[in-house]
Amino acid sequence: MEKNKWPPGDLVIWFFILAELLVFGVFFAAYAFTRASNVELFNTYQLTLDRNAALINTVALITSSYFVVRAVAAIRDNNSKRCFHWLLAALFMGVVFLVVKGMEYHHHFSLGINLNTNTFYMFYLSLTFFHFLHVILGMIILLAVALKARSGGYSAAEHTGVETGASYWHMVDLVWMILFPLVYVMR
Amino acid sequence: MKYESQKVAKLYFTAAIGLFVGQILFGLILGAQYVIGDFLFPEIPFNVARMVHTNLLIVWLLFGFMGAAYYLVPEEAETELFAPWLAKLMFWIFLAAGAATVLGYLLVPYATLAEVTMNDLLPTMGREFLEQPTITKLGIVVVALAFLFNIGMTILKGRKTVVNLVLLMGLTGLAVFFLFSFYNPVNVVMDKYYWWWVVHLWVEGVWELILGSILAFILIKTTGVDREVIEKWLYIIIAMTLITGIIGTGHHYYWIGTPEFWQWWGSIFSAMEPIPFFMMTVYAFNMVNKRRRNHPNKAAVLWALGTAVMAFLGAGVWGFLHTLAPVNYYTHGTQITAAHGHMAFYGAYVMIVLSMISYSMPMMRGREACNSARAQSMEMWSFWLMTISIIFITLFLTGAGILQVYLQRFSDNPMPFMVVQEKIALFYWLREITGFVFLLGLVLYIASFFVGKNEPEATVELAK
Amino acid sequence: MEDKKFIRPCSIIFGLLLALTVTTWFIGTMGLSGLQVSLMVLGFALIKGQLIGDYFMGLKQVSGFWRWAVTLWLVLVGSLITYAFNITA
Repeated sequence: MEKNKWPPGDLVIWFFILAELLVFGVFFAAYAFTRASNVELFNTYQLTLDRNAALINTVALITSSYFVVRAVAAIRDNNSKRCFHWLLAALFMGVVFLVVKGMEYHHHFSLGINLNTNTFYMFYLSLTFFHFLHVILGMIILLAVALKARSGGYSAAEHTGVETGASYWHMVDLVWMILFPLVYVMR
Repeated sequence: MKYESQKVAKLYFTAAIGLFVGQILFGLILGAQYVIGDFLFPEIPFNVARMVHTNLLIVWLLFGFMGAAYYLVPEEAETELFAPWLAKLMFWIFLAAGAATVLGYLLVPYATLAEVTMNDLLPTMGREFLEQPTITKLGIVVVALAFLFNIGMTILKGRKTVVNLVLLMGLTGLAVFFLFSFYNPVNVVMDKYYWWWVVHLWVEGVWELILGSILAFILIKTTGVDREVIEKWLYIIIAMTLITGIIGTGHHYYWIGTPEFWQWWGSIFSAMEPIPFFMMTVYAFNMVNKRRRNHPNKAAVLWALGTAVMAFLGAGVWGFLHTLAPVNYYTHGTQITAAHGHMAFYGAYVMIVLSMISYSMPMMRGREACNSARAQSMEMWSFWLMTISIIFITLFLTGAGILQVYLQRFSDNPMPFMVVQEKIALFYWLREITGFVFLLGLVLYIASFFVGKNEPEATVELAK
Repeated sequence: MEDKKFIRPCSIIFGLLLALTVTTWFIGTMGLSGLQVSLMVLGFALIKGQLIGDYFMGLKQVSGFWRWAVTLWLVLVGSLITYAFNITA
């Protein structure tokens, strides 16, 4: 199969994705290295996190990403309506993520936990909240794409917008793939 | 130039350049005072010279931004300015207020100035960069509101472009964050906390939007590249700027009584602040390489490319140098900061204003597209003289800073501040001498407006 | 036609991602700890990342720098985390 020179979607979004990955990468490394000098603290408080919620959220994001893949496939097939429906499904999974994560936050906040509680919670809250904001941004992008798809703004010939939104959304998923084991599981 | 009302920009640009000269002269006085402590004392004490140097910088950049907006917005919106008379009126009010304030700094002791301007009614004076009397601050707010109204109405009645909207966003942010200069809590931690909302969120937030949109405008005009392409870049750059810049405020919140997490947030996010500047460099060169036409105003293109490079170096690289909390622990408030300040302000904001002047001034002065080849060549000389001077000033100050950090803070036997100052005097001398080269560049820059006036405009072939 | 070629591998990848996720979760709830376990979990994460990059983001069909952009990031982040976990073990 012949290869493309450029990744799917607008090239500009890929520069953005690269920059975002860099920020998250630095954040992950900062977490890991700070943990190295506070192993006991990190191990103790990691246990207070809700791994079941994290599982649901990971599944939600993966599923959402898969739905977006289906949406891209649909528009390549020139099927705007199907594309729109898959995007709606993806958005729904995004909402699931936000709700579950919101419940986790509610639990922590009701215990009076905040950024100053200790270094572990500082990282946990910062990292997950920064990612949380990306989920919201990704959903806004997907929503815009979905609405345009519904009004027939894309076709098999021209659907760069769908691929652009999809690429960003996969990035949000990709980052969580590291965040989940790093913060919730690795000890 | 398509609209008559764009011409009000000329007033603003003229004032900007005039104040720029004042800023540089006071910079030279200051530089001399670093090595000859009682130079011009008691007429112009160090603290007053510093205040005038920094305040003039801010004011002339504001003049430059406003001028740029008055030129750019009607052209983008494809309509005349909403109220050209208001723009002219505000110009004179702003200029008079600015002049009166600087004279106040120079002629009476600061305490007296505070007294006669009735600072105790609403105390806002006495804080770095926000030294203006309260009444001047109120004047700035009035001017800013009238300006925003004028610009906003113009955009509202005309074509809405991304460049205009980003510019409007930046200018609105500029006005909104200035309001925090009226908030002056007694608690010194709170005071500093909100003080940065003006200072940092201006230069590392909303001003970058202004910079981005002006640069985009110049690139659209001079390269003929599709607006859509440039707009896409602009979106990504401002998104990145805002994400890193806003949370990056944290790099001012190390060890000043704010919560500890700021050390992490500040370090991580401000370490990313060079990214949008890097993107800006890549995109500026990319657009110029992909140009659909050769614009005869070579000088303007040079300034625009220069902005992209120097902003990345000064704001991005030199900012990164001391932004991480463990590094800043040692470098805080040393000459490293001064080095960064000089190159960042010049590279990002001075150069973008000069780019805009370079692009627009010939047309406002009756040319078709650009100045004569001779004027342009002189302008490009001034570009190199000023830019290379600022690079050397930055390098000398960085040298001074590294030595200072080592001798005063890092070595096993730290020396007192004043002893260290004597030891780094050589760097200050070099900086001062380079300052004169900068002034020479500025003189050439101004001269370039007057040479070759009767010669024909440069054409693409000639300028090649 | 183009469609099937794109969807089928992605569906398989989707299943794989779910399986690896549940495995990671299981290790977490078992309360397993230690360097080996952590690195294994990290390995799963990196594989997942690579699969997302290759198939969902479609980088497998791209040549040049972008083909390896995500991989490069994963390798960098992966090695930094591995190193950080090693110095404490």
